[in-house]
Formats: sequence, structure tokens, C-alpha cells
Amino acid sequence: MSRTTPEARAWAWVAHLLDGGTTPWSAWGADAPADQQSSRFLPGAQQLELLRRLNQQRLPSPELAARVLATSAPGRGRPDLGLVGVLPESAFGPPPVDPGALPPDELVRVATALIAEDTVAAGDPLEARTPRLLRRRYRLLGDPELTRPLRDALVADGRPPGRRRATVVVAGTDVASMLVHVWTARSLGAGVRSWPDWLASEVRRPGLAERIDLAALASGWVGRVGPGRVHVVIDDPRRAARLTGARHRRSSPRPLSADAVELARRTAPVVGTLVAPERRTALMWHRLRPVLAAYPGPALRIPRRHRPWLDERTVDLRHRLAAGNYAVHGALPAPTEQPGVVAPDEERVLLLAMQVLLGPPIGSVLAEREAR
Amino acid sequence: MTTVRKVHLHVGTPKTGTSYLQHVLFHNRPLLRRHGIVYPADRFDAHFLAALDLMRMPWGGLEAQAIGAWDALATAVRRSSGDAIISHEILATASRVQIGRALDTLGHGHDTEIHLVLSARDLVRQIPAEWQENVKHRAALSYGAFLDRIQDPRREGRIPTWFWGVQEVPDILDRWGRDLPPEHVHVVTVPPAGGSPELLWKRFVEAFGLDGIDLQLDGERRNPSLGAAETTLIRRINRAANEELEPAYYRPLVRELLAHETLSRRIRTPRLALPPDVHPWASGLEEAWIAEIRARGYDVIGDLDDLRGAPPVPDYADPDHPDEGLVSGAAVDALKAVLLDHARLQRELVRRNAELDDVQRRLEKAYLRPTYRWRQKLVRRLEAGPSGRLLMTAYRRARGRSSRSA
Repeated sequence: MSRTTPEARAWAWVAHLLDGGTTPWSAWGADAPADQQSSRFLPGAQQLELLRRLNQQRLPSPELAARVLATSAPGRGRPDLGLVGVLPESAFGPPPVDPGALPPDELVRVATALIAEDTVAAGDPLEARTPRLLRRRYRLLGDPELTRPLRDALVADGRPPGRRRATVVVAGTDVASMLVHVWTARSLGAGVRSWPDWLASEVRRPGLAERIDLAALASGWVGRVGPGRVHVVIDDPRRAARLTGARHRRSSPRPLSADAVELARRTAPVVGTLVAPERRTALMWHRLRPVLAAYPGPALRIPRRHRPWLDERTVDLRHRLAAGNYAVHGALPAPTEQPGVVAPDEERVLLLAMQVLLGPPIGSVLAEREAR
Repeated sequence: MTTVRKVHLHVGTPKTGTSYLQHVLFHNRPLLRRHGIVYPADRFDAHFLAALDLMRMPWGGLEAQAIGAWDALATAVRRSSGDAIISHEILATASRVQIGRALDTLGHGHDTEIHLVLSARDLVRQIPAEWQENVKHRAALSYGAFLDRIQDPRREGRIPTWFWGVQEVPDILDRWGRDLPPEHVHVVTVPPAGGSPELLWKRFVEAFGLDGIDLQLDGERRNPSLGAAETTLIRRINRAANEELEPAYYRPLVRELLAHETLSRRIRTPRLALPPDVHPWASGLEEAWIAEIRARGYDVIGDLDDLRGAPPVPDYADPDHPDEGLVSGAAVDALKAVLLDHARLQRELVRRNAELDDVQRRLEKAYLRPTYRWRQKLVRRLEAGPSGRLLMTAYRRARGRSSRSA
């Protein structure tokens, strides 16, 4: 016997979605028998709409579909919302919504919980080998997108940084790219504000962020190890690798699109609720980052209105590098018109999140191959 | 016959004496245990961490300490032989899925009888208190903007989502109490301002079944409130310093030193209150809440009339248009506190520097001895070869430590 209550209609929609359906709630009209109520309470509108959108992309596995419906959006934000038209208007609780009208941001929140779980489930990257007794002593500083992959490769090869009388290598590139790279690294690590907010505060600072102020980094180390051991290396990964003692040639990792970085930024804090900070960063760089890099998309760039600021910072950095008493390999490039977008796009971030969920399991051989 | 364990699960609301209750429970754990009640916590904020873990909620880095905390708490409850109490106010915001997990892991439906406890206070006091709490957590939005956002029926954005998540009593009770019989849902009302401070405690005692236990009640942990001008000052500081002051320093310097230790002592300035024009809206909600709670048949400890706030204050002090004299007075007090704290740190720095200099002098003296240099050279030579390394290992073992230092 079928029930004709609005709740029965909602349960029928749940069954439809679990069966791979894509009909929006606003166009749904069928009822479900009482025995089709698949859990204690109706899943939230965000979860149901995310499943519908996934079904539109590609049929998810039954396990993934069930996980989507059983996962609350993590952290602070709107609670799991009711479906409009199901329950009588209540004076209490958040107002019910038409799931089709939810902003993509709400669906991304749910998706990040699942991606975070998958990232952690992928397991820790392989442990580094025992440090070699005979290895070049180095310290690697500067642009995180250039230094982190090289340092990780060196550590994995038994060549951790540090020790006395080390050669200090400060790696960098043009100021605009370095800014994007700092935001990217923080998105994959301890967390950072949205790109527009973060960039706005960076351009208000009197100088560059510490991590990419190549001249300040080099000067600081001259005082500790002497000028002969400090090298600033601009846009020359081979030289940076040689100076640090890397024995194997390795290709640079694929850059992330603006939307991929945004998805990483949204996911990292959730991973941080599941594992300790150092594991979070390793998992984000070595498990999730390669998967995100496999999906093409426009890169992030600095808006044109900041061009005068970029010019000023570049000239200032050039002058300070020229005045330093350490080796500078290469020249700091002038800011140029870069292709890309000035901010991530919510719809594209959602699409990417769904592609990641529907793609090969994070950390699997297939995912790694696609990432290459 | 299976013994049924009672778990009193206190899920909110904030600003209802929860910190004091948690302080008393934490410091009386041994006594409670002797009476067959477990308050499973190895640190004061253990239940807060468990709540963060349950809801996967980042909280300024604290979440790293919270990993696995809910399961550990639930396991401790299930393994205990007696009844248990869990209390944290942010649990009020949990979703149905998270609540389902919480109840399942605590053993609901098996050998555990869950008693939900919600302490509630009138909205007329809760609304300004929540804005003040936001300001003490770096918020820079004005009181007017805060009020506009929480009155917006769409409830979108962080502020209204959090506010209603932790304050809308009927909704919290509906989410948490859906699977429980109404007689197992206990609503503790906070008495009106000016009443006996012991009355609320007596109600907590009744709700948690603590009657007859001679609990140590001293050492109160307060979450002191600020006046309107003082809250305005903190908000202005937030606006000016938020971008540059790192989160790790905000809490000790702004929240603790300025707000709690300094500005909360200015008790003669006008208190923060609900604006008279917002009062009717809040009163309307209070009436609806009282009617709903009564209709659902929950166990009310106290009086539902307590949830009716006091009438509008006659001399409302608007924190968005404050008495600038009072704000500058508060600023002078704040500056004095920062200066004194800075001087204390300077003294500490001088003392530490002297210690460091002394250690450095002694180290240099040790390094300069010819015997040290000879020993250093010998160790380096020995460690260069496998047989030498073996010898060094044997020597270190014989010496009784495995340090590699020479």
C-alpha cells in the first residue's frame, strides 16, 4: 500500500536517487511505500542534491551513494536542511529548501567530508629511507611549490636537509607565481583564507611574505653560514637539484588549477579533523594533490589591478638580490600577463569534487597513473 | 537481569552556567566515582574535544588534539560500571546523523538509558551574550549587523547558522530527543537575573541525579561578561588587529588578558542588553518556545516562565553608538594592562637572557679545554669506521646512555 503523504514522496525520491535517478525534487511526484524508508530519518537536502548531481555525471557505486546520504557536512555552516514541501511549516529549525536551489558551496561542503575520508583511507605515503651517511648538506628555502617536491624527493632518497655547514639554496620564480604558490601550499597545509581575502591582505603588507622574500631569506642565512654557501636560484630547478645533491632527475609536479587549489583548501581542514597536522600535510601533498593535478583547469592569476604593486615588489626584490653578497643564479622575471582566472569558481569546484569522488580511489595505482 | 546504565548527556545551551557545571564535575571525579557516577575526562576540556571530533569541527588547531576523542569517551562510558555524565554545549549544533552516531556509540537501545539534559536561558539575555561571545572570538561585526543576521528568516551564513544551532531550544530538543521518550528529556531553566545563584546549581543537581553527594563547589570557573562600551572596544581592536595578530596570540592577549582579566572588572558601566525595538520579536519567540516545550511533555526542571526575558531596559546603551568617554576609559585600562604585562615579559626576558649567558659562558669554557677538542677528534675518527663505531657503541652502553654527543 502506498502512502500519499509528502514524506512518502520524499522517500520515493531518495529511492529514485539511490537507483541512479536525476529528477530534481521540484519535478518529483511519485510516492513510496512505507517499506522503502531506508534510514531513521530523511537525509538532508544537501546530501540528496549532491547524490543527484553525481548521478548526472556518472553512476556512483552503491557504497558511495550510501555514504553521500549518511555524511553530514563537516565544520561550521548550515545544518542538514529539510526538503521544502515535506513537513508542515514549522516555527522551529532552519527553513526547508528546494535542493536544486542550494548554492554549490553547500554541496562542496558535503563532498569535502567524503574526499577527506578517502584521502586518509589512501594511507600514508611511503616512509623515507634511512639517511645516507655520505650526502650533501643542504637547506632548501623559498617558493614552496618549487622546494617542497624537491625536498620530499631528497628525503625519500635518504637525503634529509640540515646539519652544519650546509649549502643554503633559496629557490624562486616570478613574484606573481610565488604568491599563488604560497597560497597553494597553505591550502594544502595548515589552512588559509579564500584567495581574494588572502591576496587583499598580502598586497596591504609592507613587504613580501617571509617565505618568498628571497633576498631576506638569503641575507638571513649569510649571517649564519657565510656568503659562499648561499645560492639564490631563479627558475632553474636543475641547478637547485644539483646544489642540494639530488642524484635523480625528476619532473616537476603538474601545477594545480585554481579550482583544484580551492578544493584542497576546503578539504585540508577536514583531513585535519581525522589525522594529526604533519600527517594531514603529507596526505594532502602526496595523496590528494596528484589526483587533483590530473584534472585540467584554468590556473590562478593575480588580478590586473594589482599590477603596479607587483611591479614595485619585483623591482624592490631585484634591487635587494643585486645588493646581496651571495650567488644569484638567474634573473627575477618581470611580471607579465598570465592566462588564468582571478578566483576559483564554485560550480567548477563542485564539478571537480564530483569527478574526484567518481574517479579511481585516491592513492590507487589507477589514480596515480591518471595523475601522471 | 541486565543492569541499565544511565547516561546524562548535557548538550547545551551556551551561557547557561555550563562552564561552572563542567568545572565542578571535573574536579569531583573521584567523589562522583565513589557514588557510582563516572565523568570520563582526563583534562578539563575532554568533552569539548569529543564534541569537536564527533562533529568534525576545526577549532583553531585544537581539532588535532580531538582526533578519536568521541570514540574514546563513548568507550569509557560503556566500560564504566556505573552511570555517566557527558557535558558540552557545542553538542547542541550536532546534525541528526552525528546525533545518531553519538547515541549508538554510547549504547542507546542496548544497556544504556540516555537522559538528555538541555539548560536554557531566556533569549533576551542570550542574544547579547552570543554577540559578545562572537566578539571575544575575533568577530568584528556590529551589534546591529549581528541582530539583522539572526533575524533574517533564511538563516544563511556562519553567524545565524551557529546562533540558531546552539540556541534554538525546540529545534535542539527535536534533533537530540527524537529517539528518546519525553520523560528522558530534561529541560533545566536558568532562573531570572538577580535570583539566588544557588538555584541553578540545585536544578543541575536534580537533573543529573547528584542529590546527596557532597560536591566541592569552590574554585568557580567563570566566563565573565563585558559592558557595552567594553565590548565595543574589543570589537574595534579586532577590526584593527585581526589581520596581523596570529590566532595563537589572540586568545591569551585579547580574550584572556584584555576581556576576561581587565575589562570584565569594569562592572559599573552599562551592561549589554537587547535593543528595545528587537525585544518584541525575541519575546514572541520565547512564548512560542515555552508553548512548544510544554506541549511536548518534557521533564522541566525549574520553571518554563524563566524563559520569558525581563522587560526592555529603560536606559539602553547601544554598543554601535557608545559613550566614547566610556570606551576611552576602557581603552586606558586595556593599555595599562598591556603595559604591565609587557613589563612582566621584559623582566622575564632579562632573567632568561642572564640564564642563557651563564649557560653559554660555561659551554664555551668547556669547549675551549684541550681535552674536549682531543676527545671530539677521537670520536669523529672512531665514527668514520665500522669497528670504531662498534667501540663507541660499547663505550656508550658502558657509560649508561646512548647519546651520540661527545
